[in-house]
Amino acid sequence: MGISTCSEAISLSKELENNSAKFYQELSNRYEQEKELFLAFAKENEKYVKQIERTYYGVITDAIEGCFAFDLNPEDFQIKGTLPKDDSYSNAVKEALAMEEKIINFYQVAAEQSKHLMADVPRSFTLVAKKRSERLTKLKSLLEK
Amino acid sequence: MALLEEPIKGIKEVKNYINGEWVDSKGKIVDVVNPATGKVMGKCPISTKAEINAAVEAAKEAFPDWRRTTPLARSRILFRMKNLLEENFEELSRIQTMEHGKTIDESRGETRRGIENVEVSCGIPTLMQGYYSEDIASGIDEWVIPTPIGVFGIIGPYNFPFMIPLWSAPYAVATGNCIVIKPSSEVPFSQMRLAELAEEAGFPPGVWNVVNGGRTVVDGMLEHKDIVGITFVGSTPTGKDVIYKRCGETGKRVIAQCGAKNFMVIMPDCNVKATVPALMTSFFGNTGQRCLAGANLLIVGDDNKFYNSFMDEVTKMASKIKMGYGLDESIQMGPVRDKEKRDNIMGYVEIGIKEGAKLRLDGRKPKIEGGCPETCFVGPTIFEDVNSDMRIGSEEIFGPVMSVFRAKTLDEAVQICNASPFGNGHAIFTQNGRSARDFQYNVTSGNVGINIGIVAPVALFPFSGMKDSFFGILHTQGQEAVRFFTESKVIIQRWF
Repeated sequence: MGISTCSEAISLSKELENNSAKFYQELSNRYEQEKELFLAFAKENEKYVKQIERTYYGVITDAIEGCFAFDLNPEDFQIKGTLPKDDSYSNAVKEALAMEEKIINFYQVAAEQSKHLMADVPRSFTLVAKKRSERLTKLKSLLEK
Repeated sequence: MALLEEPIKGIKEVKNYINGEWVDSKGKIVDVVNPATGKVMGKCPISTKAEINAAVEAAKEAFPDWRRTTPLARSRILFRMKNLLEENFEELSRIQTMEHGKTIDESRGETRRGIENVEVSCGIPTLMQGYYSEDIASGIDEWVIPTPIGVFGIIGPYNFPFMIPLWSAPYAVATGNCIVIKPSSEVPFSQMRLAELAEEAGFPPGVWNVVNGGRTVVDGMLEHKDIVGITFVGSTPTGKDVIYKRCGETGKRVIAQCGAKNFMVIMPDCNVKATVPALMTSFFGNTGQRCLAGANLLIVGDDNKFYNSFMDEVTKMASKIKMGYGLDESIQMGPVRDKEKRDNIMGYVEIGIKEGAKLRLDGRKPKIEGGCPETCFVGPTIFEDVNSDMRIGSEEIFGPVMSVFRAKTLDEAVQICNASPFGNGHAIFTQNGRSARDFQYNVTSGNVGINIGIVAPVALFPFSGMKDSFFGILHTQGQEAVRFFTESKVIIQRWF
């Protein structure tokens, strides 16, 4: 079933942030060498959830298209959120990269779909996508170490 | 999708809030039914004349002290109230969905709009400042003091149970008046919760009162010599023939915001991709139960190709609208408030067919998600070939029914809009500045939208209305509300 309403889109973004935070917590437990970085990512996710919810609750009004702003397929943005027990460090980082790309894609698609309709919400999505793009660079550099 | 948790469990009893006390009514008790589930969620009293009189008496007694409370101190209470509303935002929104049926996005939107009025009224220390002229004649000065007047009645409708009383209430109390709110007995819980938060915020007893009920309470307000003014939102027959008329007879000031039949004018140069979702929320949002809802879609031009492709897009999106219980986040349209309202809408659909309009999308047998009973549901309905002589094109249906008109030119479109007895929230969709400007200039509508389907002014601006959509002079919200709730006391001073 597709996502059309803002409430559902916000819930999906929260789910993605929470699941990816769990994933980074797991990485931090497994790979001591980058513990701080992975924990920082997990913490950053909490900030994104707050930022997006604050924006949504701040601008949602009955005059904008809250129930008709999106046409998202949630299956396009499913993330695993867990690692195989004996996965290597490089595979884990690759998994993180793939996850980030999917989440960035979610924010970009959601922002594009709602850009004329949801006031500050698409701007907030774009900002989070931009911030997460910086993670890609950091994760890629881990593979080069 | 799982349902969000319901904030009201079991059957909740509504009480009146009079003089800082929660009191049982001696009046008849009626059931409040959740229109999506069909379950009784509460019991609401139809209060007696003695109870409305007691509330007015309490408000009158509280007035002298409240008036003497400084505007800064009054605004501090409003700031506390604003914070409490934010803390309870989600609960307040879910209550609206439960009692009214609207979707959770719509309820949150209503909560935000209501809170914005509290925020604006927090600025009362500057908003109600007067003005001064030195030497209007040699040695004589003159100034104006906006002074509070006394006790106001606020009569709320069922379609926005939380927000609409807040178009008036915070300004009334911020300026130093006392209030009695009468919520709709169909949706009393939002105002009950609001009064609990007003109490917690620290309004002294008697300043903020709520009396539930129906016509007896309204009559009690209209007849009461100590009520100095009334704000009302509801139907045109009641607003014009009852509220406005009787306020005139009894010397009360009045704001009566009434019915509508809004036109959404579509120019062939509009941005179709953005316009169609805007029309969905305009015509079908809040299940069409808005005085600012689109009712008539008026497509301009002879281009049949544009007309057909535009209508295909509109019909496609409307036919996919997901209906059900608004606490399911995926739902785009909830039920109407009750079976009587649904029957009325169904009656109009029959009338439209008999009048010869073409039923392009039939909402009489809607698909409803989540096993909700059909009792209060009507699906999006679209009629084509409608004109102003038809009842479906001229009377307020207050449901998810779109009537499609055509006009050859923008001038003709404006004439059609202006021939309507209503003038609440007409809008135009265009990419052409000249068309937008001409429309805005020529259309007789209190609120005008340009690429906006719900022309709802934010709290800083008056909620306007013209013709049969509004009776009174000043409007609710913002500076105009401050003026409505104060009298200009003019002082002229000379010292010998």
